[in-house]
Formats: sequence, C-alpha cells, structure tokens
Amino acid sequence: MEFRMIGAAAAVAALMTLSPLVGHADDTLRLAWDEDWGGAESLDPISPNRHYMINDIIYSRLMREDDHGEPIPELATAWSASDDAMEWTIDLRDGVTFHDGTSFDAADVVYTFDRIMDPAIDSPVASVLQIIDHVEIIDDDMVKIVLSSPHADLPLLLLDYRIRMIPEGSGDTIAETGIGSGPFMLESFDPQGTSRLIAFPDYWEGAPKLAAVEVYSIPDSDARIQALLAGQIDMAGASFQQARLFQGNDAFVVQVYPAGSWQAIVFRTDTPPFDDPRVRKAIRIAADRQAFIDLVLGEGNGEIACDNPVWKGDPYRADIDCAQDIEGAKALLAEAGYPDGIAFDVYTSNLESEMVPIAEVYQQQVAPAGIKVNVVMAPADGYWSDVWMVESASITSWSERPADQILNEAYRSTSSWNETYYNNPDFDALLDRARSELDPAKRAELYGDAQRMLFEDGGSFIPYNMNGLRVVSSELTNIPGDHNDNWIRWELVTKDGATN
Amino acid sequence: MTASTAPLTRRRRMFPAWFRDVLSRPSGAIGLAIIVVHLAIALLAPMVVPYDFAAQDSKAMFADPSAQHWLGGDHLGRDVLTRTLMGGREAILVSTMATGVAVLWGGLFGIFLAFAGRFVDEASMRMVDALLAIPWILFVMLFVAGLGTGMGVLIPILGISYGLSIVRIVRAAALDVVTRDFILAARARGERRSVVIVHEMLPNVLDTLAVQAAMTWSWMLLGFSSLSFLGFGATPPTPDWGLMIADARSAMMVSPWPVLAPMIALSSLIIGINLLSDGLAKALGVDRMKKSAV
Repeated sequence: MEFRMIGAAAAVAALMTLSPLVGHADDTLRLAWDEDWGGAESLDPISPNRHYMINDIIYSRLMREDDHGEPIPELATAWSASDDAMEWTIDLRDGVTFHDGTSFDAADVVYTFDRIMDPAIDSPVASVLQIIDHVEIIDDDMVKIVLSSPHADLPLLLLDYRIRMIPEGSGDTIAETGIGSGPFMLESFDPQGTSRLIAFPDYWEGAPKLAAVEVYSIPDSDARIQALLAGQIDMAGASFQQARLFQGNDAFVVQVYPAGSWQAIVFRTDTPPFDDPRVRKAIRIAADRQAFIDLVLGEGNGEIACDNPVWKGDPYRADIDCAQDIEGAKALLAEAGYPDGIAFDVYTSNLESEMVPIAEVYQQQVAPAGIKVNVVMAPADGYWSDVWMVESASITSWSERPADQILNEAYRSTSSWNETYYNNPDFDALLDRARSELDPAKRAELYGDAQRMLFEDGGSFIPYNMNGLRVVSSELTNIPGDHNDNWIRWELVTKDGATN
Repeated sequence: MTASTAPLTRRRRMFPAWFRDVLSRPSGAIGLAIIVVHLAIALLAPMVVPYDFAAQDSKAMFADPSAQHWLGGDHLGRDVLTRTLMGGREAILVSTMATGVAVLWGGLFGIFLAFAGRFVDEASMRMVDALLAIPWILFVMLFVAGLGTGMGVLIPILGISYGLSIVRIVRAAALDVVTRDFILAARARGERRSVVIVHEMLPNVLDTLAVQAAMTWSWMLLGFSSLSFLGFGATPPTPDWGLMIADARSAMMVSPWPVLAPMIALSSLIIGINLLSDGLAKALGVDRMKKSAV
C-alpha cells in the first residue's frame, strides 16, 4: 500500500516537472541538450566541459563561416595580414553591447585571447592558438595579433566554436553568469534540467524574433526522438535509422547536411607490419568506400573520403581518386613480402554506434585481397586511453576541423594526437610552407599535396565524412538545412512556419 | 506409481526411473523438448541456413520480413533468420562448458568442505561469502579486462564465479549426509577421504547438484549473453543473440525483427532450461523454493 502511494506521488511529481514541456509556447524555442556530463557543464566557452549548445547562443565570435566555410565578419568587421603573415590587424565592430550593458571593445578581445593562452587555465583551446605570440590594443576598435610563426589562414582558426568574446575581467564568473554579446541572454542555468535564455533586446544585429530559448537535458537519444514526436521540443539531431520515423510526417522536416566529422581505422606506422608503406596502402585500397557509406551510415548519409581528413565543405579539400583495387592491393602485399596475404587484429568498441560496424564491414571488404582481419572488442570505458594510440590498429572518431588544424593535429610528427605515429619530415615541411604561403591558390596546392601524401603513405583508412542529420518541426523558420547548428542565426529563428 | 507396481524381474528400460519421472511432468517434458529443439538447431544450423551469416547487403538493411529474408535484414543487411538460427551456438557451447566447470569444482569443493575441519570450513565459507558479495558481472569483468574475451578465458571465469553458489548449496546438502552411519562406516573402514567423497558422498548429493546444474546453466546462458550485449562475450561478426540484440537495439523502433528474433530465441531456451530444472526438482524431490541451511 505504502509503495503504491509513493508510486502515485512519483507519477504526479513527474507530470508536474514535465508540464512546462507540454505547453505550446509559440514564442519559445525548445531544444534538447544531448550530452550527460553529470552537471559539470560550464558556460565558460573555453572550459573542457563547455555547454556548446547554450554558448553558441549567448556568445559571439570575431568571425563566422559563410556558406563555403570562409570567414565573414561577426564582431570583427575587417582584417588583414602583414606581408610575412606574422601580424594580423583586426577592426572591431562599434556599438556592440554585452548582456550586462557594458560595451565591447579592444580590451575585451585582448582579455579573451590572453585568458585562452593563459597556461594557468590550461584550456584545450590553447593548442589551437599556440602560434599566437601576443595580442595588443591599437585603439578601442582595433587589435593586432602578433604570431610567433607565419600563418596566412589565421581567421580560419579564429572560427573555432570555442573562441568567444567575453567582457574584460569576467574570467572568474563567466562559467556561471554567461555574459556574452549573443542574441539571447541567460535567465537560468540547470544543465541537468531546464535552462532558459531570454531575448537580448540590444543585440547588435537587432532584437531576436523569439522571446526565449529553453534547453532541456535529454541525454538519451530515443527519449529525445520521442520528445520531438510528442511536440515537446522543436528540433533534434537524429540517426538515419531514427529519421525513418519522421518520413511522411508533415509536422517535421528532415535535414541532411554535409559535415566534416569522420571515423577511421588507424594503423600505427611505427609498428610492423604497418611500418611498411606498401602494406599501409594495400590495406587501404582493398576496400570499397561506397560500401562503408551504404552499410555503416546508410545510403546518402556520408561523402566518400580518400583517407583524407579534410571534408568536402573545406576550401582546401583535395580531389583524390580512391576506387577499390583488389589486384593492386594483392600486388603491393606481395611486393612487401606477403604473397599469401596478411592477418592482423583491429580493436574496436561500442563507444559510438558506427565503431563496430566499421570494423565488420572492413573485415568483409578486404577479405578478397587476402587480408584477414580479426575484430577485437575492447571495453568502452578507457578506450581512448588504453586502446587508441596503443594497439597497432584501432578505430578512431574525429569531429569537423578546418584543413590546417586537422592536418597538424592528427598527422604532424610532433602532435600529441598523431594517432598513426606518422613521422614524415616532408609532410611537416609541406604544412609549414602552406602556413606561410600568402597566395591562396598556392596554399591550396600545398594543402592538397599534403592530403595526397597521406593517401599514398599515411596510416589512416578514412572511408567517409559523415553527414549531419537534424529533424526540425515545420513550425520553425530560418534553420539552414544544409549546415550544422553553428550556422544557425538564432535571432532570425521564428515559429511562424506551417503548424502541426 | 511405477515404483510400487514394478515387476519383480527388472526389465532393461531405455531411460532410468528418475528420467521417466521428469518426462511425465509437463514442465519437464516441455522444457526438455524446447532444449532438444534448440540443440538440434544449433547443431544443424550451419547446414540449413539460407545465407552466409556474415554476408552484408546494403539493399537488405533493416529490410522488413519478405520471401528472401523471412525475418528481414539487420543494420548491415545480414539475414536475421540465418543469424538467429546460428546465434545460439557459441552461447550454448560456452554456457554448457562453463556449467560443467562450475558443477565440477563447486560440487567437489562443497562436499570437501562438509568433511574438512571446522577451521578450513569456516575460513573457506567466509571467503565464498565475500566473493559472492561481489556482483558476478564485476567479478567477470575484472578478469576479462585483463585477459581478453576468448572462450578460453570466459569458460573458466564464468565457471568459477557461478560455482561459488554451488559450493554453498552442495556443502549444505553434504552436511546432512556426512553424519549418516554409512559415511561413518566408510571412514571407520579407513577409506581414503577422496574415495569417500566420490563413492559415498557424491551419489547422495547428486540430486541437489543436478537441479542446481540446470539452474546454473540458464543463469550462465543469460550471463554470457549479457557479456556479449556489453561487448565482452562473442566477437563480431559471430552471430550471437546477446550481440545481435546490442547491435540492433538502437534501431528497434524502426526495425524490430533484428531485436525480437534473438530475444525470442534466447528467452525460449532459458524458459526451456528453467522448466526442465523445475521438472528435475520435483522428480528428485529437491524443493527449489526451500532455502538450504548454511
């Protein structure tokens, strides 16, 4: 009896907590936070636990991406480099106010950069900006970024979703206050419950069309889809399997957009048999990459990658032909001393839903070339510390990064995440030359050469870039269908579209 | 009934009396039939399945049941019927062998403790209690994390961990027997302890052990499938029920068959084993509900 009472009370309590979700507010955008960091989420944009969903709405960057991934003005209005690409001058927008009423100027920019590069804070963003020597104030509306080595594409680095301008001196409180210059400002923050943002009337691009944004914590992907189906949230990312639930439903629009995240099988180039470039190439060209897209992601949910970490939307993406070549693979293996084929273990884990299928599809794909793959399952806990970069072949997963950043972060011999232990001085030299080359066409050629070098010689088998998939209520307008959430101009979003 | 009216001249029968007793009970007969069907499928599946269990086909991804694929296709377009029919082989093999390990060490050690002096008995039982306090999955994972997930690791580890409760139950049953006259007589004759254990004690705790073995088998099956579900049991692309359920569960709402088929297969076998152990318990007069003394 007592238990029944407790049960009933719990049900009522659950209903009461859910009731704000059920209401149909036409002026409130309702989003779902899909991570579960146990409440450690921070509004500090450079914290390892940054709440990137809310941060994208409450803070601004110096630049944002245009449709082709090129930087265009946001809080910066113009920028130019010195002839040696060692100094960058950046003009700042006038008339921008922070949520606390103070105005944005050069001192805030210098403060933001100094804080990112502060060794005491030890932010993961610091490595992105390690080529910056210092930032100095020219006048209220202009700063100069002085580099320690030339970089002709500094603005591309400044597009990083974590480099967001905060008011001077706010470092100690920013994690709670969330004072930025974005279109919405923080009203309440509960990363494991409901957070509420309200329109910032003084936003420099004009007041937002909606009155508020609510962010509910729904880490379980199936629960998120159910909330979307029930009209409790307005949009959510989905897997291609889940997207089938929305087919033929007029109340929703399914958006598939090209994106740059990728997964790969990484082979350690310092470990036999993968220390032989012929073996590395053979075990990569033996696979049909389209089959990986069709089987692992679902047809149309990815773009072929030719062991090339630079995605299609990046201006520096190289065109490489990587058709399946079983005979070529056999010949290369024979030449390398494996005329009867080769056998090796590939470690994987069910950390992400694609990680086991990749290994299974690879096993089937390369078998005709005499390559025998033994799939080894490793625990998801500790995978990144005990298996990845430890075992000679394992599955990896990366989010989208600009060409220069990913080529340096994952393949430069000195990088701490050089997961294939790739050590090629020619490759490192190419990256150095690309960074200091001011002519964009020549720079593209150099980055292209670096990617082709990886296809010939590298240790990662990258079959695809994954498309993003988002399901949006058809009430919403101005959600760009061909880009990820970073492209959404939150102040323009309305709920005036077709109603349910 | 059969016992009282048995003819004086014993005829050779195909099955011993206790087995006929099991078969005469609905739970025993149904349970055994289910198990026999499962074993037959496991043995014959490689010869009768319509597809290669690892063959991938993007056209059959999440396919609904059809003439080509009776139970549809999974997330890699593999035939669900083929994989379900083959999916019990490794689980049955591992769980049966691990049950053998558990019964053997648990049974013998349990009887030995009933004999051993008070100090050894107390010390060992407190140790068994301590080990039983650790959730089995944690116990197994401790070893699997270090040694890998091959059959050579899983069978002994599962056997050892599930044998702990057998030690406890068999010891309790053996304590009942150990003070009986025939045991005292055997010891008085100066029989070696091992001879007494095997020839005098074992036959008298065999009924308890048999029922416990059947129950352990079903737990073991569930245990191995749980490990596969978590990624520590069968290795892909081996068709295995636990692994199949894990692979297909994210798409359950759009494509239920890849989850339902292995679920039905696994649960039917477990129900079959439980029915059989129920029949066994009744036939052998071992009350499954009664808690044994410690």
